[in-house]
Amino acid sequence: MAKLAQLFKKDLVTNFGPEKMLPDLKFAEMEPGWDCGGGTYRVTKEEVEKFARLMGDPNTGQTNVPIGMIYIFGLRICWDRKVFIDQAVRAGDKITFYKPAKVGDTITTKLSIADKKEVKKEKEGKVSINKFLSINMNATNQNGEKITDIQMSFLLPKTMQ
Amino acid sequence: MAVIGDTLESKSLAVTQELINEYAHICGDYNTLHVDVEGMKNHPIFGGTIAHGTINVEPVLQAICAIQRTTWPKEGTTIDLQFRAPVKPGDTITSKLVVKDKKTEGGKNILVCDMLITNDKGTDCVKGSAETVPD
Repeated sequence: MAKLAQLFKKDLVTNFGPEKMLPDLKFAEMEPGWDCGGGTYRVTKEEVEKFARLMGDPNTGQTNVPIGMIYIFGLRICWDRKVFIDQAVRAGDKITFYKPAKVGDTITTKLSIADKKEVKKEKEGKVSINKFLSINMNATNQNGEKITDIQMSFLLPKTMQ
Repeated sequence: MAVIGDTLESKSLAVTQELINEYAHICGDYNTLHVDVEGMKNHPIFGGTIAHGTINVEPVLQAICAIQRTTWPKEGTTIDLQFRAPVKPGDTITSKLVVKDKKTEGGKNILVCDMLITNDKGTDCVKGSAETVPD
């Protein structure tokens, strides 16, 4: 892949969590509440304006961080903590909004297993089982106040044990 | 004040490979599905690169802020969505929120809406519901 020009270079302030990561678990070992770790970051005014321009958001020059940035930096933490299992497909998200994230805030995102389920599917006489996993992505500010809760659901690959 | 059946303000986003690439830099997701243009050309399902799922959600995030006249959704706002079809470079995606119910919770009036994000070919890319606090 050719080198891509970058508008952003984001270093997380911290990245924390247990040594054992989600891909180390078998499906049977995945239990609600399991700590996937997390990370912290700060969002600058410059980054807010660049992101708003990238997404065609008219709200530039604001003090609130766009939601999409909480999402995108949350995803970055998910990748660093290996929460996205190879070949898992995003099924859906549930988002709840609390206090705004502000420019200059230190935002902490914590990841944990929310739930798992197996769904039997029958097609043309063949029965297969789809495994789903939900991950909580909870963001708070430096005062411990909730910013967003995002629950992400994934269809796990058939090869998942 | 919105009534049941009303279609609320919508927002659109033109998705390009350049946008997808830049998004990959920010979130660290360089999955070949999103950024390997040559490699994905003959993909049996997608036939080309697709956008990160959270790019697909951006129009409804912006729409809710516009509806509420704010830059961050008011406390109590929720979105429940399912990804239904991939968004590809060249697609323009547009949100649609239609009021299906109204309720009062914690002293707040809440509009319960059906939510769709469709591309310019008429495909439903994201589907679900949203609860928004009016302005």
